Amino acid sequence: MRLLFEIGCEELPARAVYEAEAQLPGLAERELGRPPSQVYVGPRRLAIVVDGLEEQTGDEWIKGPPVALREQAAAGFAKRHGVAVEALEERDGFLGVLSRGQALSEVLPAQLDEILRGLRFGKTMRWDESGLRFPRPMRWTCARLDGAAVGEHGTTTWGHRFTHGEVELPSANAYVDVLRRADVEPDAAERERLIREGLDGLGEWRDPLGKLREVIHLVEKPLVIDGTFDERFLALPERVVETAMQSHQRYFPLGRNRFAIVANGGEPDVVRAGNEQVLEGRLDDATFTFERDLQAGIEELAARLGSIVYFAGAGTFADKAERLRKLVDRLGGGDASLEAARLAKADQAAELVREFPELEGSIGAEYARLAGFPEAVCAAIAEQYLPDSAGGSLPATEPGRVLAAADKLDTLIVSFSLGHKPTGSRDPFGLRRAAIGLCRLATEGGLTIPRELMPDDVDEFVEERFEGLLDVPVEFVRAARAAAVRDLGSVARLAQALAALPDERLEPIHTAYIRASRLGEQADAAPKLDPTLLAEPAEQEVANALEEVEPELTGALETADFDAAVEAGAKLGPALHRLFEEVLVMDEDPKVRANRLRLLLDVRETLRALGDLGQIPR
Amino acid sequence: MALNFQDMIAALQAYWAERDCVVVQPYHTEVGAGTFTPDTFLRCLGPAPWRTVYVQPSIRPSDGRYGENPYRFQQYYQLQVILKPAPEDILDQYFGSLEAVGIDTRRHDVRLVEDDWEGPTLGAWGLGWEVWVDGMEVTQFTYFQQLGGMDVEVVSGEITYGLERLAMFLQGTRTAFDLEWAPGMTWGDVYKENERQWSIYNFEDAPVDILMRRFQEHESECAHLLARKLPLPAHDQVLKASHTFNLLDARGAISVTERASYIGRVRDLARRVAEEYLETVV
Repeated sequence: MRLLFEIGCEELPARAVYEAEAQLPGLAERELGRPPSQVYVGPRRLAIVVDGLEEQTGDEWIKGPPVALREQAAAGFAKRHGVAVEALEERDGFLGVLSRGQALSEVLPAQLDEILRGLRFGKTMRWDESGLRFPRPMRWTCARLDGAAVGEHGTTTWGHRFTHGEVELPSANAYVDVLRRADVEPDAAERERLIREGLDGLGEWRDPLGKLREVIHLVEKPLVIDGTFDERFLALPERVVETAMQSHQRYFPLGRNRFAIVANGGEPDVVRAGNEQVLEGRLDDATFTFERDLQAGIEELAARLGSIVYFAGAGTFADKAERLRKLVDRLGGGDASLEAARLAKADQAAELVREFPELEGSIGAEYARLAGFPEAVCAAIAEQYLPDSAGGSLPATEPGRVLAAADKLDTLIVSFSLGHKPTGSRDPFGLRRAAIGLCRLATEGGLTIPRELMPDDVDEFVEERFEGLLDVPVEFVRAARAAAVRDLGSVARLAQALAALPDERLEPIHTAYIRASRLGEQADAAPKLDPTLLAEPAEQEVANALEEVEPELTGALETADFDAAVEAGAKLGPALHRLFEEVLVMDEDPKVRANRLRLLLDVRETLRALGDLGQIPR
Repeated sequence: MALNFQDMIAALQAYWAERDCVVVQPYHTEVGAGTFTPDTFLRCLGPAPWRTVYVQPSIRPSDGRYGENPYRFQQYYQLQVILKPAPEDILDQYFGSLEAVGIDTRRHDVRLVEDDWEGPTLGAWGLGWEVWVDGMEVTQFTYFQQLGGMDVEVVSGEITYGLERLAMFLQGTRTAFDLEWAPGMTWGDVYKENERQWSIYNFEDAPVDILMRRFQEHESECAHLLARKLPLPAHDQVLKASHTFNLLDARGAISVTERASYIGRVRDLARRVAEEYLETVV
């Protein structure tokens, strides 16, 4: 049998629609034993179609105590299942109850109720005395099992809000047809197809702020039409025009002075004229605001930063700009990035950013450009928030990379110092994204970011991101993090160099490192190696190798040649291997023993420059 | 022929009066939105049913632009409708009011777009929409969930029409200044000079020291009135404190950190007034 179940609501937010869409299949399967064959979601309805339901639920054998325990356990079991002791049956040596299947029509209303109440949403409300909570008021439910009604649920649905009222649903099969005849496209995928087709038909369309996902659930009957605005607004920066189109109005730019509207019906000419008027009003307003900002000019905007608090406890944006300049300086940034740091936050005082926060950075760059600053400065201001997502592109210019790194460093340092460390999935200040951005600027961006710029907790948090970012086992990242390298990029490259070393070459130095650590902790090593006590050739060989390797390794690290550093460390391998084969470290003579321990500890100290090899499991 | 501004207001009031709303007159103290007046904020507390419609000037000192920007004003008008409890057909009743002022909902694209409302100074929030007609936001629709920091006992529906926007839509004008208010008289004729003078006062002349002192005075007077179990006059002191804060904000006299503390102080007063109102009146 086919079931249709629809929950009718006042217009749901798109987010809630997506939440329901994700949960309905699992809930249906849990309650009805079958996943839905269709899920229809949109602003006014959440519906499922479930096929292959049996008219009668199956009989179920409930196994009870063994027959042998009849005396002790039968009464309790029978009571629990609401039957008389005499009614218990015997099967394969056990007592039990045969629970008879029920007609689907009897159990279904309660199951549908469970589905409805099982939905969980991020934000819900009450609307009447029922106390029910849902993202927006629920106004009807409609259910059909083939052609039959289901319990108290209605058998009517509602068509398009303004062109059709309540419509009868004769059977579960008729759901989609009935709604389409009533100006509703219930299938979200089909609505998306219709919208895309409509937009494609209008030309090259763009969706820079990613509004399409929401728009699919803002309409039940998509009507895609184009509009135009007066060409004088093309004098505004393109980003401003596009943001005015998308941010509030959810229009799609079609290039030049054309835009696309996705409406929910109405007469195209009437709807077009109204929307054109609205957009021109917004652009007019943006022009006023833009011109007021320009009149002030970027220097004046920057001067106002002293009265705008950046973050409670972290001073004003003027303080932030000052910190950025210092960080840029420490990062080795040149004049362009220093100048960009000074002006980077000026647009926080711009009226246009108060109106459209998503314009921060790009509009500051525009104001700098119009004030005649060099392109390198303007580009850096525009690029300061990049990468703006985990996989987003990095700034294309060097000053942009330096400023972007400084901005992220400051955000992280300030947030941590105020105790806003991300916990679990909570990260309201986007610190994980900032840390990932910083790591990528160091690796892909080739920027030297000294570790000493960060307090320990920030440094640790940032470097932990490498564990997910680098294509090496996490233990190598952990090992490299303990190395005495000075900048973030070096940590990453050292981890990669360690991971690239073949196992058989890693093995001896790893063993030496571990053994030295273990023995060194147990026994007293000599404070200093005494070459005259090196009796065995094998230990002499290690000492010689160490003398050779030590400067080589240090030198390689200083020139950031990590492959060479790891190579140098690995050179100790054969000698160490022989040492472990031929020499008993714990010699009976305490002096010899202490000296050998010292030798091992010296080896460990040298290898330690490559990190904490003990992190690597063997 | 589209309704002029005053006829449109009259039509909306008549529409809601027919639906058992009490037509009250604008409240006498400056408020940023109709939600603040006792006819909404206090009446929506407790269990008693209440239906009202009223025009309320919305006074927002920082939004003034000296009458130079035709989209931003330090004073404009809202029409506030409260239906408590919110009836099941509240949306249909609302759409009927659009028809009543001449909007054919079948020819236009009328849409409800998620917009959750929060009034931090009132400790209030609700869920609802902004209503678009062909892309123009003409109404704010909210189901109150909390007021004065407390869950509401009965959920009210609040319908707030932006009267200038609605009229601009109906009359097809690009700016509020060009709206016909009455025959031969535009909105600009009535209010443009008002915008200029008040913007000067709000941004340049409002006396910061005196306002700071007044804020404290309103705060302590509110506390005094609460002690006397007079929540209605006490609420007026909340409104005056809130407006004083808005003026200080327009003067740029409040830093962002202080801002949060001022908002917290007003919210605290609003909460105590709400509690006293429930105790004394309901």
